[in-house]
Amino acid sequence: MQKYILRRTVEIIVTLFIIITLLFVLFRLAPGDPTSMIIDPKMTPEDIESLREAFGLNDPLWLQYLKYLKNILKGEFGNSFHYAEPVLDIIKEKLLNTILLFTTATILAALAGISLGKFIAWKRGTKIEATITFVGLLLHTIFLPWFALLAIWIFGFKFRWFPINGMLTPEIWLDPTISFFYKILDVIHHMILPLFVLFTIDFSRSMLVMKSSMLDTLREDYIITAKAKGLKEKIIRNKHAARNAMLPVVTSVSLSIAFSINGSAITETVFSWPGLGRELVFAVSNNDYPLAQASFLLISTLVLVANLVADVLYAYLDPRIKY
Amino acid sequence: MNREELNKNRKLERSEYLNFFTRKRFFFLKRLYSNWLIFKKNKMGLLGVVLLILFGLMALASFLPPLINPMYQPMIGVDPMILGTEGPSSTHWLGTDFMGRDIFSQLLMGARIAFMIGISAALMTVAIGTTFGLLAGYFGKTVDFLLMRFADIILVLPDLLVIIILSAVIGKLSIWNIVVVIALLGWAGTARVIRSQVLTLKERPYVDAAKLAGSHPFGVIHRHIVPNIIPLSLLYMTFRVTSAILVEAALSFLGFGDTSTVSWGMMLQWCWKTGNMFRAPYWLLPPGISISLITLSFYLIGRAMDEIVNPRLRER
Repeated sequence: MQKYILRRTVEIIVTLFIIITLLFVLFRLAPGDPTSMIIDPKMTPEDIESLREAFGLNDPLWLQYLKYLKNILKGEFGNSFHYAEPVLDIIKEKLLNTILLFTTATILAALAGISLGKFIAWKRGTKIEATITFVGLLLHTIFLPWFALLAIWIFGFKFRWFPINGMLTPEIWLDPTISFFYKILDVIHHMILPLFVLFTIDFSRSMLVMKSSMLDTLREDYIITAKAKGLKEKIIRNKHAARNAMLPVVTSVSLSIAFSINGSAITETVFSWPGLGRELVFAVSNNDYPLAQASFLLISTLVLVANLVADVLYAYLDPRIKY
Repeated sequence: MNREELNKNRKLERSEYLNFFTRKRFFFLKRLYSNWLIFKKNKMGLLGVVLLILFGLMALASFLPPLINPMYQPMIGVDPMILGTEGPSSTHWLGTDFMGRDIFSQLLMGARIAFMIGISAALMTVAIGTTFGLLAGYFGKTVDFLLMRFADIILVLPDLLVIIILSAVIGKLSIWNIVVVIALLGWAGTARVIRSQVLTLKERPYVDAAKLAGSHPFGVIHRHIVPNIIPLSLLYMTFRVTSAILVEAALSFLGFGDTSTVSWGMMLQWCWKTGNMFRAPYWLLPPGISISLITLSFYLIGRAMDEIVNPRLRER
């Protein structure tokens, strides 16, 4: 097990290294060089030359690459063009916000999907099963940004139950008389809508996977044995069938983490949730290369780590798997 | 044996030869028909086909409105009587957008664009995925290791964000650039499935027989392996169509799409960015419903096809 985790970690580091290298190649291939963003038509050729020198663009390519690697290892991504602050400081806080939204949604969705999928597989052939499956299919294929807009429109604008953007209300957080508990409640209040949108999409997928996996498991011999022994239905369902049927759900979660991160970027943008995905979209729209590069790298790392967690969880859940 | 008899024999042979061919073709049709019988039993799959036909008709109908009146041109046609967005009327069935363009003809045009993007991206994805899966599965060893590690990396990349980063470096991507990038980022899943199928296929006795008879590896792949994985490739194609449509729509929605085409994602972005989403449900609802339903349609068809390819699924 430890060996397996170690091997996967090494794999992740290699993958990250490749992504970092690809980013370097990509940004060097870009039309114009990194200085073209700053160069002013009024600058003399000498000025431009000293600027290129300062950026290290006159070095041979391999030296530039090594310097680039060294900077990334030290966490120096340069200054953001837009904020004129070190990129690392900007994205550090955004990372936490993304992790908060994304992991809550993924975990809640997996748990809810497993329970409901288990239930409807047990009721196979009934009206309830058909209805829930159909609704699940509709939710699975709904267009995420549009769904987010609808949620804002209905729950935020028509009923005014939830705030429609941001992560907190500044007046509440700047007021020292309000207790910390209410401040946390305020964040949760802001979080419900984006969470609901992400949750629904993830949930319908894990429910459908759980249902189909459960249907497979129910045909196994040990289920017939359990029935013949006269065990209670609930015990057969929860202990004999569901435990084994859960494994493909975990795999599907681990396979769809990249997909969910895509989704959280969209949701963050629509709800103005100050996370990494929104920062990436924002940086690219503003030609803020250092910020875009760093947030992309951080998101990739996030995806890889989440994959590792899902894989380890899988190994833990299925003792038959030996590494 | 006299000459007459010989001739008769020859004729018989020839007719049998012909017969053989027609029978084979007949068999193929019969198989298609029996597959259709299985497909037909799946009500959801039929719903998918009906939806798909509807969207196909929409795509075909998209050629009509501009012929009726130039103001129905989805990108440049502006109704001179209308300045901003206005609700549905008899001249504009779904109202007009912020520039006074007809939303209904934009919606029809969107269907055409969605089919173009979905099908071309899916064809490319599946072609790449099938080729890589075949090579990795059949040749194994280093080829397998390299291709599958490559696939692993592609698999963990969030494709939407990669395309956004690409548009930061290259600048605005055209619709065909987007299609190619979607294909380059989407083949990994297909390649893995095809590879595992090839791994079992290459152990079959007829493959051994072909190898012993001295066939070239590519000959074996071409004659004995490819025909057996085509159904699987087709199945994965239907799933790739939806993901291509979704990625393009999301990209356009976030403002990184090709601004010279009217895709449904672009329509949503216009509605959202011009601040009309709370005021103009006639504008917000149609493109979203269309994207969701076309995804649903391909997804349902894919599930029904899955039951044909995997008979195990039918028994439940």
